[in-house]
Amino acid sequence: MRARIPLTVVAAIAAAATVAACSPAPPSSSGGGGGSSSDTLTIATTTDVVNFNPLIGNSRTDDWITDLMYPRLLTIDANGNKQPYLAKDYGYSNPTTGYYDIRDDMKWSDGQPVTAADVAYTINAILKDKPAGNTTYGQMSNVSGATATSSTRVELHLTRPDSTVIPEVGFWMNVVPQHVFQPHGSVATFPNNSDWVSAGPYKLVSAVKGQSYTLDRVTPYPFAPNNTPTLQKIVYRVYPDINSEILALKNGDVDLIGNSLPPAQVKSLQTSAGIKVQEAPGLGYEHMAFNMTKKPLDNLQVRQALADSVDYNAIRSVVLQGQAVTTGSSPIPPVLKDWVDPSLKEYTYDPTKAKQLLAQAGVSNLKLNLIYSLEDPVSSQAATIIKDDEAKAGITINLEGQERNTYLANTASGNYDIYLGNFAIMDDPTTNMSLTYLPGGAINYSLVNDPALSSLIKQAQSTTDQSTQKQLITQAATTVHNDVYDDVMYMQNLYFAYSDKWTGFTVKPSELLSLLDPQSLANVKKTG
Amino acid sequence: MPPVVRFAVRRLGRAILTLWFASTVTFLLLRLLPGNPALAVASPNMTVQARNILLHQYGLDQPLLTQYGKYLWQLLHGNLGVSFTQQVPVSSVLLARLPWTLLLTGSSLLLTIAVGIPLGVLAATRPHKVLDRFIQVFGVGVQSLFVPTVGIFLLFVFGLQLHWLPIGGAYTPGVYGAAWYGSIIAHLVLPGVSLMLVQLGSYVLTLRATLIDSLGEDYTVLANAKGLPRSKVVWKHALRNALLPTTTLIGLNLGYLVGGAVLTETVFAYPGVGRGIYEAVTQLDYPVLQGAFVLLAATVVVVNMLTDLAYGVLDPRVRTV
Amino acid sequence: MSSTAPVLDSVSTESPTAARATWGAFRRNPLGMGSLVVLVLIVLVAIFAPLIVASPSGYGGAVLQAPSGAHIFGTDNLGRDIFAEVVWGTRISVLVAAAASALAIVIGVLVAMLGAYFPKADSIIGTIVDLCLSLPVLPLMILVTALAGTSVLTEILIIAFFSWPEVARVVRSQALSAVRLPYMDAARLTGGSSTWIIRKHLLPAVAPVVVVSVALTSSRAVLTAASLAFLGLGGVTNWSWGRILFEAEQSGAMSSAWWTTLFPSLAMLLLVVAATLISITYNDARNPRTRED
Repeated sequence: MRARIPLTVVAAIAAAATVAACSPAPPSSSGGGGGSSSDTLTIATTTDVVNFNPLIGNSRTDDWITDLMYPRLLTIDANGNKQPYLAKDYGYSNPTTGYYDIRDDMKWSDGQPVTAADVAYTINAILKDKPAGNTTYGQMSNVSGATATSSTRVELHLTRPDSTVIPEVGFWMNVVPQHVFQPHGSVATFPNNSDWVSAGPYKLVSAVKGQSYTLDRVTPYPFAPNNTPTLQKIVYRVYPDINSEILALKNGDVDLIGNSLPPAQVKSLQTSAGIKVQEAPGLGYEHMAFNMTKKPLDNLQVRQALADSVDYNAIRSVVLQGQAVTTGSSPIPPVLKDWVDPSLKEYTYDPTKAKQLLAQAGVSNLKLNLIYSLEDPVSSQAATIIKDDEAKAGITINLEGQERNTYLANTASGNYDIYLGNFAIMDDPTTNMSLTYLPGGAINYSLVNDPALSSLIKQAQSTTDQSTQKQLITQAATTVHNDVYDDVMYMQNLYFAYSDKWTGFTVKPSELLSLLDPQSLANVKKTG
Repeated sequence: MPPVVRFAVRRLGRAILTLWFASTVTFLLLRLLPGNPALAVASPNMTVQARNILLHQYGLDQPLLTQYGKYLWQLLHGNLGVSFTQQVPVSSVLLARLPWTLLLTGSSLLLTIAVGIPLGVLAATRPHKVLDRFIQVFGVGVQSLFVPTVGIFLLFVFGLQLHWLPIGGAYTPGVYGAAWYGSIIAHLVLPGVSLMLVQLGSYVLTLRATLIDSLGEDYTVLANAKGLPRSKVVWKHALRNALLPTTTLIGLNLGYLVGGAVLTETVFAYPGVGRGIYEAVTQLDYPVLQGAFVLLAATVVVVNMLTDLAYGVLDPRVRTV
Repeated sequence: MSSTAPVLDSVSTESPTAARATWGAFRRNPLGMGSLVVLVLIVLVAIFAPLIVASPSGYGGAVLQAPSGAHIFGTDNLGRDIFAEVVWGTRISVLVAAAASALAIVIGVLVAMLGAYFPKADSIIGTIVDLCLSLPVLPLMILVTALAGTSVLTEILIIAFFSWPEVARVVRSQALSAVRLPYMDAARLTGGSSTWIIRKHLLPAVAPVVVVSVALTSSRAVLTAASLAFLGLGGVTNWSWGRILFEAEQSGAMSSAWWTTLFPSLAMLLLVVAATLISITYNDARNPRTRED
């Protein structure tokens, strides 16, 4: 047995040495003192941080963590309405000039004030460097630049009237500190992976990829009691999937699961001791888009037949366990109460009528493929039901569940008959309709090109008058509904599980904000 | 050239060849199979032009040979490139993960040997008896296990029900010093054991087969006849010979071990290279993937050299060649 | 994902007349016979799945029900019968295992025979096989599947493509020792053509190793296919054991509904254990030293 010793010893020493190299140093007296675990909230997530630069990253955890450091100008309340955050006031001073008036009481954690210059810098840097994964870039197609006219006022210059820019950029863009980002040159290549500077409520202090991300509180933060966020620390821990997240929550390893629960798990967690489940409205929808550049999907009767053959109620009650609401087959999610048109009714499930429609259209033996992402469990399950339902109307659906990258490639090239998927956040109907139904729109998956519809959407875009805009959008939604340019199936309600040791979460719509919104996490408390 | 030098040169040449092969295979697979990193990285709101600019920045619009030449040239200088998604050097992405893979695979390998040798000896010294049968079936059974199922089962029982061990991760954030090492060991137990289980079978079965053979060899028969105690014959003489194929097995299984760790790392949220590869695949982060495969190949090369050393210690004949 | 193949290294060549002795020894081993019965049963289930239970297309309100009289393996998160899923999954899982290993064996044996018979090619072939063996196989398969797309056919091709080097390695070492045997020289001297010698003498000499290789490669293919499916890289058009596990994972049922994972995992375990035990018993039965008399 002597013989095994060298190998064993070498391996053991090597392993010990390499791991010791990873050993974390204890923090040098973190601010605020105390540091008892009662002030630490641990959150489970299933995705790692990909990039710490809020202008690049687009994974869910990236957003959750950078939102705690880089303020958005606007936020959204439980009804989907935009509310002030860093910006106190916002609007248009003339049709081609938008503005934000920002708060003067927010500070970066290195003591510098958050100013209008930071906002203008962020906007101009996105326009210039086009960072990959940046959502705001696509919303600024009509923006030529921004200038800070005072320390609290920033103006956006538009190339043509666009009422969606100010609310959308306000909600989607994280403002970054100019004095930290500018010295690194292009924001598209700056990793921002150490020495973070945050405007609060929390600031990253350590990041171990694949493991955990630790944030400390930042003061002053104006949206917390006494300008002081209630938690000393927030720790994000990475788990491989929802199963181990649930185990970890039950085990007390984490206090909150950041990801929304799969529908089938909600009931069992609601009855688990020590666990609370919170409902949050969705802000997007699940839909089927029929590729209208392919025959016979350009025929309205065929699209109607497809839409009328699916039992949407069954999908909602089985796949979603009843945790979803109909949108009346309209592309406006019901959470946006000010925009919803109650006269639009869901396509009725009627296989016989569908068969007649197909016969009228002179189409028989219809075979179509339907693509969806395997990453998305709800779509995967809905797809099974859609296939069975369409079969009852004599339509053969070939399901193509695809790995994410294949799915993205096929989506981008229009290589499908039917697209099935969901949009997580449709916060602004005008913007969403322009992205979804204008020719060349980034998410125009039905590849619709209807001049009448386009003109309605463009008019809505350029008017700043709320009621005119609403009228135009309602008309556009009715067109989409009646011509089956899109088959919106439901809006999913989301559920989040947390330990009953905690209270004081603010609920906001969508998985992005949910209970993890900065204002929510700055006000959480231990129960009792 | 003295034989030792010739042996060393041949070994080194082989090592370089292995590294080149792994890097070239990865490079070609990434370029020749469909897949567009710009789509994976960019927001859907990005225009086609913006995506093409990205491809240009990544250098993916150049001819294949140019890309390959640049890649090899960088590699020769120890430069693995910059991650598409993280904007940091690939080496720093991977070096943060490598220790965990080494720790997990290394400790599971040691555990396998520590458990496997006694089991193999037990079985071989009682061929076709009940215990032998049991050990054989056990060995085959555990190596046929599906890691994710075992993982969830272990987490459920030892984590949630018994509260003995933590659920996932490599250590608890916020502990330092001695407690940190304790936490590392506690987190290592379940992934280490499940990785040990799935590779245990092949070691036990190989050792059993070769030990039965060598217990029938003339010299062991002779030793028995000389009246040496049975245990000494087994452990000292027969086992020494039987360990040679087992050592070879370590080398042969390395590719599987290092690669197979991706499932274990995934189930137990262990932040190793395997998990990193899986994430890089979903993001089509070519430089990280290329670097990771080179790194895994390098690990295999190094451990193979170590097993060569062990082989020399075990078998005096090798040293004189 | 570990390898049992080195067990094969102890395989020795046998004369065809020893076949009866081998079978006799095999039959006396209850482990081997039991495994053979299990394997035959699994294949029968795969072939006659439609006669056993209806295809698991239904869904209903009874989601995640524990095993009961109505659903002996319980139901999944859409209320589908897991027994039906496991039975139907047997088809694809067995098909993938059989096809992938058949393909790997064909490639591996061809390569090995070439190397053994043409010594000039052998050092190159040996190097290539060794290089392939040093690659981290599972991560590479993940990569290729993610890029090439998911379907049963690509899955079979990918598994086969990454499994043949292992086959080539064991068959090659066996073939090399066979080539050096005196009767091969005799065959060459009597002027037999290369193909005739390979077919008549070399193939029979490596046949036993190939038999064992089939069992091992196919059982590894089962686990690999399930691993890919579990990571979201398997096809979902057809039921397979891996898909049942993948859906259990995605719906969060793994940690709360044990029956969603237990039964497909058991089916997989049964198939893999049976195949491996058969190869081990066969191997033992052929070796006079380990044979039970």
